[in-house]
Amino acid sequence: MLKIEDYKAVFASVGLIGVLLFASSTLGLVLRLPGGEKFSELWVLGPGHMAEDYPFNVGADVNYLVYVGVGNHMGCSAYYVVYVKFRNQTESLPNATVGTPSPLPPLFEYRLFVEDGKSWEAPLRFSFSNVSFSENRSFVGSLMINGLTFNVDKSASWDVENNGYYYQLFMELWIYNVEFQAFEYHNRFVGLWLNMTGV
Amino acid sequence: MLKRVLRGSVSFLLVLVLAGLFSHGVFVVRGADGASVSVGEADVAVRQAFDATLDAERAGANVSGLILRLNEAGIILGEAEMALGNGNSSEAASKAGQCIGIAESVKGDADVLKASALDEAQTVFWTSLTFSVVSIAAFAVVLVLVWRRFKRGYNRKVLGMKPEVASDAED
Repeated sequence: MLKIEDYKAVFASVGLIGVLLFASSTLGLVLRLPGGEKFSELWVLGPGHMAEDYPFNVGADVNYLVYVGVGNHMGCSAYYVVYVKFRNQTESLPNATVGTPSPLPPLFEYRLFVEDGKSWEAPLRFSFSNVSFSENRSFVGSLMINGLTFNVDKSASWDVENNGYYYQLFMELWIYNVEFQAFEYHNRFVGLWLNMTGV
Repeated sequence: MLKRVLRGSVSFLLVLVLAGLFSHGVFVVRGADGASVSVGEADVAVRQAFDATLDAERAGANVSGLILRLNEAGIILGEAEMALGNGNSSEAASKAGQCIGIAESVKGDADVLKASALDEAQTVFWTSLTFSVVSIAAFAVVLVLVWRRFKRGYNRKVLGMKPEVASDAED
């Protein structure tokens, strides 16, 4: 037979569990448990909203369509800017190790607000004009993005290894830091390699 | 006499043309500056609207509707910035004005939502606290009563026990 002290301990345990159960609804309002990992996603999809049929061999005066998307897992709503930039093979990309953006000026920008756990997607329509080729070099004069024309004046030399004149259209993700009241590079970028094939 | 009048007229016209050219430059520069200031103000207004929305969200409000309108303001702000970059000052200023209007309305609504969310949260908190305190008190009273009853029964059981001698005990 158990001693009275043992029964006392059982009653005390039951009492403690009961107190915690009845207090849990209020404790849930006061205590904030740490959430999971905070991060954002940036993606680019082909014209069918799938990771396929990306434009690769491109020419002048042809319209191309891809979709740019952003996913928010930051634990609260976020204010993002996606900068669209254009470069040739010699110009620098963002540095993922140091977390610095590309020094190239943005051509186009998307400003977007996304709730936590939700995503955003928008079309990116682009075409090239004033394209020319001479002595193993190609030149791109203008790039039209979503109906706006930008003078880019870029040139690319013939890539012997990959057989083409390569350019890259890439997107950088920036996030608004509420504490510093400023946008900062969010260390996310995606790009499309484009081989300029004809005028 | 005629020569003097002609010379005077030509000089006057020259002065007018020069003044016109100069003032055009001033107006163009002032227009671009004005548009740039407006776009800057729109940018600040959108940031403030977002800050207010975030505060409302932290207070527990549903901000889905505000986020939709902020996206609308963001698109217009992007267009204003690109118009400014392309030298289209009038379009930039017009878009900036439109953006400020939306951002200010979002900020106002966010403040109202935050206040109502805080009120609601306070009501929920006090209701929950009252429920917890009353429940814990009732539970404690019941537990003490059960314990007393159990203790009494236990003591009666112990007192009613008779000592037994084991069969294999030594004499």
